[in-house]
Amino acid sequence: MRRTTASLIVMIMLIVALAACSGNDNAGGNNSKQGNDPSANKGSNVSGNQSDSGPQDPLGKYEEPITVTQVLAYRAPEEGDALKGVTPETNGYLKDLKEMLNIDLKYEWSVPADQFEQKFSLAIASGDLPDIMQIDYNTYEKFKEQDVLADLTDAYKNYASPLLKKTIEADNGFALKSLTTDGKLLGVATSGEGVVQIVWIRSDWLANLKLQPPTTIDELEKVAEAFVKNDPDQNGSDDTYGIVFNKNLLGWGFDARGAFYSHGAYPGAWIKDADGKLVAGEVQPETKTALARMQSWYKNGILDKEFALRDENKASEDIVASKVGIAFGEWWYPNWPLNLNKDNDPKAEWIPLMLPSLDGSAPGKTLISRTVSSILVVNKKAKHPEAAIKMANFYLELSKPKYAVKESPDFKGAKNGYIYLWFQPRFYYPKMFDEVMAKVSDAIDAKQDQLDLPDDFPGAGEAQSVFTNAKKFFENPKDNAAWGMWYSRGARDGGVGLSKKVVDEKHTVYNEYYGPPTPTMLEKGASLNKLMIETFTKIIMGSAPITDFDKFADSWKKLGGNDITDEVNAWYAENAVKE
Amino acid sequence: MNTRTTNKRRLRAELPLHLMLVPGIIVTLIYAYGPMLGIVMAFQKFKPLLGFFKSEWVGFKNFEYVFNLPDFTQVLWNTFFISIMKIAFGLLIPLILALLLNEITKNWFKRLIQTSIFLPFFLSWAVLGGVLIEIFSLKGPVNGLISAVGVEPIMFMGINEWFVSIIIGSDVWKGMGYNMIIFLAAIVSINANLYEAAEVDGAGKWKQMVHITLPGMAPIIILMCTLSLGGVLNAGFEQILILYNPAVYESADVIDTFVYRLGLFDQQYAPAAAVGLFKSVISVALVSLSYYLAYRLTNYRIF
Repeated sequence: MRRTTASLIVMIMLIVALAACSGNDNAGGNNSKQGNDPSANKGSNVSGNQSDSGPQDPLGKYEEPITVTQVLAYRAPEEGDALKGVTPETNGYLKDLKEMLNIDLKYEWSVPADQFEQKFSLAIASGDLPDIMQIDYNTYEKFKEQDVLADLTDAYKNYASPLLKKTIEADNGFALKSLTTDGKLLGVATSGEGVVQIVWIRSDWLANLKLQPPTTIDELEKVAEAFVKNDPDQNGSDDTYGIVFNKNLLGWGFDARGAFYSHGAYPGAWIKDADGKLVAGEVQPETKTALARMQSWYKNGILDKEFALRDENKASEDIVASKVGIAFGEWWYPNWPLNLNKDNDPKAEWIPLMLPSLDGSAPGKTLISRTVSSILVVNKKAKHPEAAIKMANFYLELSKPKYAVKESPDFKGAKNGYIYLWFQPRFYYPKMFDEVMAKVSDAIDAKQDQLDLPDDFPGAGEAQSVFTNAKKFFENPKDNAAWGMWYSRGARDGGVGLSKKVVDEKHTVYNEYYGPPTPTMLEKGASLNKLMIETFTKIIMGSAPITDFDKFADSWKKLGGNDITDEVNAWYAENAVKE
Repeated sequence: MNTRTTNKRRLRAELPLHLMLVPGIIVTLIYAYGPMLGIVMAFQKFKPLLGFFKSEWVGFKNFEYVFNLPDFTQVLWNTFFISIMKIAFGLLIPLILALLLNEITKNWFKRLIQTSIFLPFFLSWAVLGGVLIEIFSLKGPVNGLISAVGVEPIMFMGINEWFVSIIIGSDVWKGMGYNMIIFLAAIVSINANLYEAAEVDGAGKWKQMVHITLPGMAPIIILMCTLSLGGVLNAGFEQILILYNPAVYESADVIDTFVYRLGLFDQQYAPAAAVGLFKSVISVALVSLSYYLAYRLTNYRIF
């Protein structure tokens, strides 16, 4: 008896010593806090992993190795200089995770990313889930309903590092609130505001035709028409068209979202109407106006005749091949595919513009959808729920400038085998891109040779890599990959810069519904969606008259749309954070 | 007594042979019969993580839900139309080809034609789909040809009527070699004396074909017809999935693509299982019917 007590004490001392060693600088701060917290003294915390005992070392090392399981959507590393031969199993993050926290990470399976959704669906169907997952909101709702999620309240409270807390709570607790049910925190996530829609346009074509960048939708139409008819690339042949679309009208790029938004039409979103009620964007008169205009675009050859046969990847080929001069979309285009277009056609120049204005007063309003995604959850059956939080701490720790900056002696990056893409859970400071852009622009303006970053700057690696690429681009303006990084993420007038300006100047409309799919949405959503896409596609292509829109709106309402509207408004009355 | 001992002896002699069946039976049980238990899903409000045993039973609710979906009748009609057209042309055209090929006397030429017709049978839809989209695109060779004779280019893959024709046509083209070989075999098995006798009686090639070749092939033709009835609800999932787009949902969305979207994209497993079961029941009924018809009409039995 006495001997066991003695060995217990020795063990505790050992753990404390280990924790202090491995926990770096911020561990000290936490340990001292532990002394002041009355709850810390209550729990006799032997193994160092019980969760009901007050603040713990966010990066404390487990005394015995523990194993956690995950599944992996495999993608090849993005970084060109990634260490050859690294596999997810030999990823540097896993090695450090073992060294720093004594956690063995095992992948139950891994499939190429494009098959992940299906495979994961099957894994859900067979009930065979890993310990730690990062999932979308729909899946989260399903898991919650089926009661398979572990309660993370204490784990988050006691283990989250200050940096993790800063990241997660950057939205003033919006995400945490929406992931709490009956006082139990079932998931940890950041919340996003969605991506701002802007317009990318070939400025060299504008110059060739002596046109000004368009600010209204009518001007945009004129420019697009000129791109079709007036041989903007001056190669003597009629081989260009105006605006790129693809068969997913509301897809992830090269699609029609921006064109809808420019008309004040927000299909797929729930917008507040004049009476303060939420209405579905796809059945509003503005959407009809937008469709009528797109129909005329199609007729006049501004859109590709076969846009409905091609997906996003296929559509991007037209951009690369200099066939098209205008693309509605997001900030990242210079990184892909505009850089490839410049490789292909050295004369190509692109600039981003705000969405064109409908009436000439203010720019078109982009849709802001509050979303909670990439939710970190833990399987109820997992033995160490707090390990998930510690792993999140660990990832943020490794994103600090000390490790994330290429020039640092402690650099941990793709070139020495750290492939971030494979590691989960990953969290990013929601406004990181804005901060990176501001920091890098400032440094470039001040002609600095080095980027000075505060110790807890979120996204230090990102900032450094944008800065390096910016330097490269200014040295060699023909380096299109470097241009892509700089112009999408760094430049004040580039992708992120302009998007930030759109939000700062409040050219925005909020999607007011951010709850889970309602019962009728689950039941009828797929049919309604099919009806919408089919009708819209046909109207644009002119195979259905614009009056079909009214028929669509009627059937949409009858086939479940009205019920969904009621459910959404009931949710809104009860749950929404109203401003 | 005597028969029993011989039976015993036979059993002992043949036992190893019977044992050889065991792995096959086990594999069939596991992979063909085991998954059939999943049919219960069609009658449950299935929640994957609760599993088959804890999910709530809902009777025929899933079926009601699916049949009441606004586009289900359309989808059902598309399926019937596409597959019946495929079956009809898929038998008629190989039959004509076989009859024509039979009249060719140059052996090398016959072989060449036969092989080139059979070849597309081995291509996968994944490959063929991409090729078809290119061929029928606005800037593709087909539109090149028709605009050379002064016709406006047609967007074949974006117009319902054209799209369905291409679906049916390409499927017939891809599969016609296979049926043609079966018909050719049937023709070869007809007694050559009949043709000699007909020639003596003064029948020409046409009369020979009408009065000897076709009646001689009749059992095979009827057999092929009835057997393909069982597949009426299979309109060709892979082909349509690869070729279709929102502009032609109206005519090209069939049961299989519908279930695919319902099950894997919207994750409505139970309704998807219900549609699958519905399809299987219809197929079993049709297969039994066609089996019975094949027996009555051509005296053909498998068992």
